[in-house]
Amino acid sequence: MTSIREQLLDMIEAPNAFDIPRTELEDMQLTAARDLFKERRGQIRILDKRATDTGIGEIRTFDDLVPLLFAHTVYKSYPPSFIEQGRWDRMLQWLGTLSVPDVKNTDVQGVKDVDEWIDRLNAAGHVILATSGTTGKNSFLLQTQEDVDRRRFYFRHAKGWPYVKPNQDRPFFALGPSKGPTSAVETYHLHADVFGRPGQKYFLSDEPIRISEISRLAALRKRMSEGRASPSEVRATAEESQARFKDMTARIEELTRLILEHRHEPIYVSGQYAQHMMILECAHAMGAKDGEFHPDSLVHIGGGVKNVVLPPDYKEQVDRFWGKVHRAPTYGMTEMAQALVRCEAGRYHRAPGLIMLILDQAGERLLTPADAVDGMAVGRMGFLDLLYEGRWGGIISGDKVTVDFSERCPCGRHGPTLLDNISRFSQPGEDDHIGCSGTLEAYIRGALPS
Amino acid sequence: MSAVATREPTTVVHIVKGEAVFDAEVRYGTATPFLTPRLDLDPLVWPRSEPGPAFNLPLDEILDVLVATGDRLTRDPDRLLMEALERSTATNPLPRDILERAYANLGAMFARERLLFQIEQELGGRDVLDGWREVNTPSGRRCAIRACPARMIHVIAGNAPGVAASTIMRSALTRGAALIKLPSNDLHTAPAVLRTMAQVAPGHPLTRSFSAVYWRGGDAGVEAALFQPQYFDKLIAWGGESTIRSALKTIGPGLELISFDPKTSISLIGREAFESENTLLEAADRAAADATVFNQQACSSSRFQFVEGDTKQLRRFCELLQQRMAAPRLTASNAPMHLPSDLRDEISALRAMDDFYDVYGDEGGSGIVVRSDEPVGFQPDHKIVNVVGVQRLEDALDQINVATQTVGIYPEQRKHALRDAIVYAGAQRVVSLGAAGAVDHGLPHDGFRPLDRLVRWVNDEALPQS
Repeated sequence: MTSIREQLLDMIEAPNAFDIPRTELEDMQLTAARDLFKERRGQIRILDKRATDTGIGEIRTFDDLVPLLFAHTVYKSYPPSFIEQGRWDRMLQWLGTLSVPDVKNTDVQGVKDVDEWIDRLNAAGHVILATSGTTGKNSFLLQTQEDVDRRRFYFRHAKGWPYVKPNQDRPFFALGPSKGPTSAVETYHLHADVFGRPGQKYFLSDEPIRISEISRLAALRKRMSEGRASPSEVRATAEESQARFKDMTARIEELTRLILEHRHEPIYVSGQYAQHMMILECAHAMGAKDGEFHPDSLVHIGGGVKNVVLPPDYKEQVDRFWGKVHRAPTYGMTEMAQALVRCEAGRYHRAPGLIMLILDQAGERLLTPADAVDGMAVGRMGFLDLLYEGRWGGIISGDKVTVDFSERCPCGRHGPTLLDNISRFSQPGEDDHIGCSGTLEAYIRGALPS
Repeated sequence: MSAVATREPTTVVHIVKGEAVFDAEVRYGTATPFLTPRLDLDPLVWPRSEPGPAFNLPLDEILDVLVATGDRLTRDPDRLLMEALERSTATNPLPRDILERAYANLGAMFARERLLFQIEQELGGRDVLDGWREVNTPSGRRCAIRACPARMIHVIAGNAPGVAASTIMRSALTRGAALIKLPSNDLHTAPAVLRTMAQVAPGHPLTRSFSAVYWRGGDAGVEAALFQPQYFDKLIAWGGESTIRSALKTIGPGLELISFDPKTSISLIGREAFESENTLLEAADRAAADATVFNQQACSSSRFQFVEGDTKQLRRFCELLQQRMAAPRLTASNAPMHLPSDLRDEISALRAMDDFYDVYGDEGGSGIVVRSDEPVGFQPDHKIVNVVGVQRLEDALDQINVATQTVGIYPEQRKHALRDAIVYAGAQRVVSLGAAGAVDHGLPHDGFRPLDRLVRWVNDEALPQS
């Protein structure tokens, strides 16, 4: 018999996956959470410790999950010297406390850098996603191959919703790299798997994203702050990253030509604003006009405007360029496998296998319809993603969301839903506070990409 | 809608050339709203066509007004400071008990001997304020120099009430004309001090030399109009890049930037601390004092403490340190911590990773100590200390740089051998452990002598002797 948790994950196949009455779903979700916690507690040391510290022995209500949610920082809580000094066995030990599978089967003999450490983990059957934080310190999240397959299954049924169903039948363009241990790369590939027509899947670059490269920049910033980096080293690094950006020009031209060739049939395009702008400029130079694309095309646009200079109206320009195509945006994060999808009414709906836990601003208490005014409440996004086999899927984020607890979404489907106004919780205090204390960061000028 | 209780806005009093303005017309802030009078830019500047109100005042008269102001601040008969305290508790992130004690001690800053000490130390004597100091040059010319008053904008920090008071004191001692831009975390101290001054010297030229108003920092309309060399000689800015970002656009010939840079502070604790239970207690207590200056909102408060010892010794030190951080002190409070979520996330992650970190204490208010083998990757704040073991204190010199303000050392006798290396690396203040929070105006601040920078040094030069 399949478990309740698997049943919930499989429900994504149902035509009404995003339209299941709350009461019907919540009983199943609570049972699944109870079973999952019981199982994971014996497998993930950090979860067991958290449970012991907070006295949560069993999940009886959704409130019991709140103290068990991890902050994203837990996935980058290793001492930085482990990487700087190449203590890969210690890194394994650290990762092991957060993961379900035993990672000790990984051979770290002779590992040169963090990319090779990730490769070795892969070789031992562990899929690692790395993210770079603003501090330059990377998070490492383990998932199993089954998690990746499960996620692909989710994509097959949820992506493009409610406009387009993935059918492996359209030319696929990812305005980003095809290789590297990041969530973006993985997501490109899963999209390619479910949307892309065999033989017509194109990426901006096959140059792998290297985590050690990102770490090298972070290390350089650290050395700069310590006054140990030489001016020529700073200049060389700044020039190097600019050069890499310019290198893309030829490939952008090539991709633009392909995109234009296919513009009269449904295509799939995904990338960040900066790359969309490059395609747009290139297409205009080739004589293409705005809004010439097939209306059944699907275009995803991410954030990513850091370190690039864009015209003030870049959003409008990109909008006009693609014209009346489908957008189907989603709301998710690296730590989440099953991103929320946006309906015709502009509301985000969650998958049956994602337990949405909207918390108060402090992140201590679950908000309920009793907290709502006119059905709505503002809170902090938290969730338990039931999909993961490789790690605990419970996360508390810094995102400020508005939840509508109403029975029905304006689109007619069942709620609850999130409004399309997701932002970050600002730090306590106002933006105009001035203090005399500060950090080194204030002393590093903008020579380097952060 | 939920979670954040909406507060009644507090009212901010503006001071314009010594006169209090009470209208509450413009609303700012969301979580902690406040109302200010509407800003009228014209009276905030001093035209160069006439000298500032206090430019010709004898120093003795200035000292008399300041001393009387200090005395009245201590007595507070009109309850102006009390009113500021009440209003501050809504908008100032510092716990009320710290503010109470800080306000109670504000008046003492204006004691005559303290003011004279500053003038002596920072300007080399009062003669350059009262008139021209004769200087004979090696070329044989008879010349004279003077510390000429300046027109100043102060963009002050709000993390401790003393910043507002010392700004007023310094401007007054130099006879300058000053516009103080109030920070949203301390909207009430400067107006209260200036209103007190207006009580002891109504309409006095010194009183008329001050304005203190709020506008949202970085408001381009206000700042582009005011930050002009036609109106001001000097912009004195506290805080980091975000504070002075718009100021930087206007800084140029004729308008000088004087920056009290954002700083961080550390402690170096030698193995002597472990000689006996008494020395260990003493070191932990003094380390705790340095870590809790204005509940760690001050730049002088210690955030990283490097200790010569093994892990077992460090654990014992951390335990004691965390206990002593809860001890009652003038500028520390045990009010519950309201950690920003990023810091709380960091602490919660380290707490989980007990193979690599020891975490002592919780958010109850007594403070948190993290022991690790290397400095943590975030900036400890809000009464969080990171204790890191070192073989030798010299190994911690790497951690000192341009952003380091105060380095506290234990024991006393280790200071001598370390202090040159510490200041060469960038730090500007070496103290005996426990003295980080001590303030004596007149000593250099942030690597310079403030009064010396707040005046314009001017010359009167004779012909060469034939």
